[in-house]
Formats: sequence, structure tokens, C-alpha cells
Amino acid sequence: MIKKHILWLLTAFACSQAAAAETGVALKADQLRAESFSDAKVVGSVNKNDAVEILNKKGAWLQIKSAGKTGWVRLLTVKRNNTGGNNVAGVVGVATGRSGTGKVVSTTGIRGLSAEDLKTAQFNEAETKKLESYTVNADDAKQFASNGGLSNRTYPYFTGSAQ
Amino acid sequence: MNKTLKQAIALALCSSLAWGTASALDLKGVLKDAVNDQLGTGSKTEPTTANNDTQSNASTQDKLANINWKNPSREDEIAVGRNVTGTILGAAPLVNDAQLQQYVNKVGRWVASQSERADLPWHFGVIDSNDVNAFAAPGGYVLITKGLYLRLTSEAQLAGVLGHEIAHVVQKHHLKVMQKQALLDAGTSFLKEKISKNKLTQRAVSTGAEISARNLDKSAEFEADSMGTVLAARAGYEAYGLAEVLQDMETINNNDGSVALLFQTHPHPDDRLAQLSLVSGDQMDKISGGKTLENRLYKLK
Repeated sequence: MIKKHILWLLTAFACSQAAAAETGVALKADQLRAESFSDAKVVGSVNKNDAVEILNKKGAWLQIKSAGKTGWVRLLTVKRNNTGGNNVAGVVGVATGRSGTGKVVSTTGIRGLSAEDLKTAQFNEAETKKLESYTVNADDAKQFASNGGLSNRTYPYFTGSAQ
Repeated sequence: MNKTLKQAIALALCSSLAWGTASALDLKGVLKDAVNDQLGTGSKTEPTTANNDTQSNASTQDKLANINWKNPSREDEIAVGRNVTGTILGAAPLVNDAQLQQYVNKVGRWVASQSERADLPWHFGVIDSNDVNAFAAPGGYVLITKGLYLRLTSEAQLAGVLGHEIAHVVQKHHLKVMQKQALLDAGTSFLKEKISKNKLTQRAVSTGAEISARNLDKSAEFEADSMGTVLAARAGYEAYGLAEVLQDMETINNNDGSVALLFQTHPHPDDRLAQLSLVSGDQMDKISGGKTLENRLYKLK
């Protein structure tokens, strides 16, 4: 009986470890912060390509552990390693889910809105008119933004080079 | 002819240019003239073949029949987008909640106002599908599924998702694919038969809904993520809204049918986040003081 309990505990422990061990790699050098906001105290740093362990998520922040230091970074600092069970299935699924012409030939799980559904659908004038009836003009949208404390700002589009 | 159309679509997907194909057949000049006849300088008074439709549908057909695929006007673009959108609505109607639809239009219109095409008559809608996806069609039409909407936790996230779709419209990503297809179809059809301009346009728009769900170039999706993020930030929102949604999408099992179409037509969220990180560099850190507005996100009834 005791043995059985120990075995159960060991199994549970192993499972929780497997679930918690989410890893990734730093896409850029960044500072580790004590809490999940940008002016929180700096408690360390990561270098580009450092291996990291992802411990927690909160909004656009990730709590990571790297080289023994733990802290928070913005979620775009880290790329998760694509080795989880779901992701492996997903990448394979996406890669094999279509034929050479780009046409979807198979989907798994509960079937949703497919490319075929869209191809065979008939134009619906009534729903289109309904959609257009909800249209908001620029002034009303501006008022709505203002009500929420939003004001527009001028930022240029990002200019970094993609890979 | 069906085979020809399939070949044309396959070629369009390979991002081949119409003239590249024509040149391979060594009929470049002939085809170019033929396509010019049919698309660029064709008669505007060609009668439509839609004779048993309602008055409204007939006028829609008129508009569609006279689209200048070589150099579409703003009105052409809107007519095409309306047809594509109405076809998607034929597959999944709007969620029957006027407050929800008005709310999404306010957020979307405000984000679109920060773009270079603020003058378009922007329309936004939530469609009744449990799929996780969103669609853009030429001329300012944007649809988001109920399945995706229900996963959102803040107005900033909604702004990010709509920003991505708005960027597709601003950059005319889908329109360009449809143009290539129409031009290719005009070229290949000429070899087989004399095809009317009206018939040609009907073919192009009939596959329009599918095109809106088809995979664009990966680079078009990455560009929409990057531009969409900036548009939401310009509108005063926290800049990480779209990134948060992409991160959430990573947690959906890829075998879940609700993301089948999304994952077939977009790069994996991991790759999209990595690209966004690369392209934004340190520019993201310079954006501060944005709002998330969790409490204002409209809750579905």
C-alpha cells in the first residue's frame, strides 16, 4: 500500500516536472526584471541565444530562468522551443495537411470552417447589408476612443529586417 | 477548362507573374494584347449574363462585370471585397448581437483611422463560428470569428487582431492575389476560347472567398503582424495586444479543428512571434503608456 502511494507520488512528480519544463531561447539581449513591468528593478540579464526556462506568464511578460537567474522579460524576447507534444503534432499536421496545389485535403479533430466551406458558400446579400448597417464613421470612433482615454500617437512602422 | 483554372490558381499560389507564364509559352505579345482587350480597355457597356437575379443583385453583377483587373479603382476594390465578404457571410452569418457588432466597428474604425487608408468605408463584423480565425477582404471589410473573439481578454488584443487584418487591406495583399489570378485566367482562356469580360470576372470573384482564406505569402502575414501592432499602438493601445493573442494561439492544440484553417493559412504562431521580435527590434520598447482596457472589452451575451 505504501509502495503504491510512493509510486503514485513519483509518477505525479515526474508528470508535473514534464509539464513545467517549458524551454526557449533568447532572441535578443535583454534585462531580467524583478516584476512584470518595465520600470521594475533589474535583477540580471540574458544574452542573445541563451537557453532559458519559462516559468510563468502574465500578460505580455514571461518569467524566465537563465544561467541560474530568474526574472521577467517581454514575451517577444524569448522564442519557445517548438518541441512540445502539441507543437510537434501541429507542425507535422500543417506540413502534411495539404497537397502540392495548396488545397487542403485532410483535417483532424472537430471540423470547423474550412476552405471548402468558403469555396462553396453562396453570397448572402441580407447579411452583407446587416454588416454594413453597423458601420461607424471616423468621428464616432474618435469619440469612442476618447471615452476610453485613448489618444492617437505617431509611431513609424517597424523597420527591422525579417529573416 | 476546369483544369486550366486549377492550373491558373496553382500558378498564382506559386507567386508567378502572369507575364512569366505567358513568356514561357512564347506568346507574350499576343496574350498581352488579348488581356488588354479584356481587362484594361474593354467595353464598359458589355451586358451581364445575370438576368434572373433581383434588381440589387443585378446591379452588383454590373459592378463586378466591369472591374478593371489590371488597374482596379477604389470602387472596383470595394465591389470585390463586398462580394468576398458576402460569400464568407454565406458560410457563417453575423453573431446576432447588435451591441457586439457596433463595439467591434468602433474599435476597428479607430484603428483603421491610424492607417494610410483611413478614407475607406471600413466595415467590421463578428461571425457565428467557433473557429479561431479572422478575415480581411479588399476595400475595408474585416471579419473575426466568435471563437477568436471569446479568447480575447482586452480591447488592446482586439485592436491588435483587427490591426493585422486592416494591414492586409492597406497593403492590398488579397487584391493582388486576385488580380494575378484574373490576369492569368484571361491569358490562359484566350488560348482556348473567346471569353467575355463578365464571365472572367465572375470566375475571379467566385473563388474570392476561398482566396481570402488561402495562404498568402508568409511575408505578407509577417508584415500584417508588424503593421497591425504599430496601428494598434498608434491608436493608443498597449502594443503587445497582438503578440499576446499569438502567444495564446500557441496553447491551442494544433489538432483542434477550430484552428485547422488558421494554421493551414498562416505561419505557426511561434514563427510569427519570432519575426515580430526581429522586425520590431528595440522599437517596441519605445512605445509606452498604451492602454489595455480589459474592462471595456464587450462581453458576449
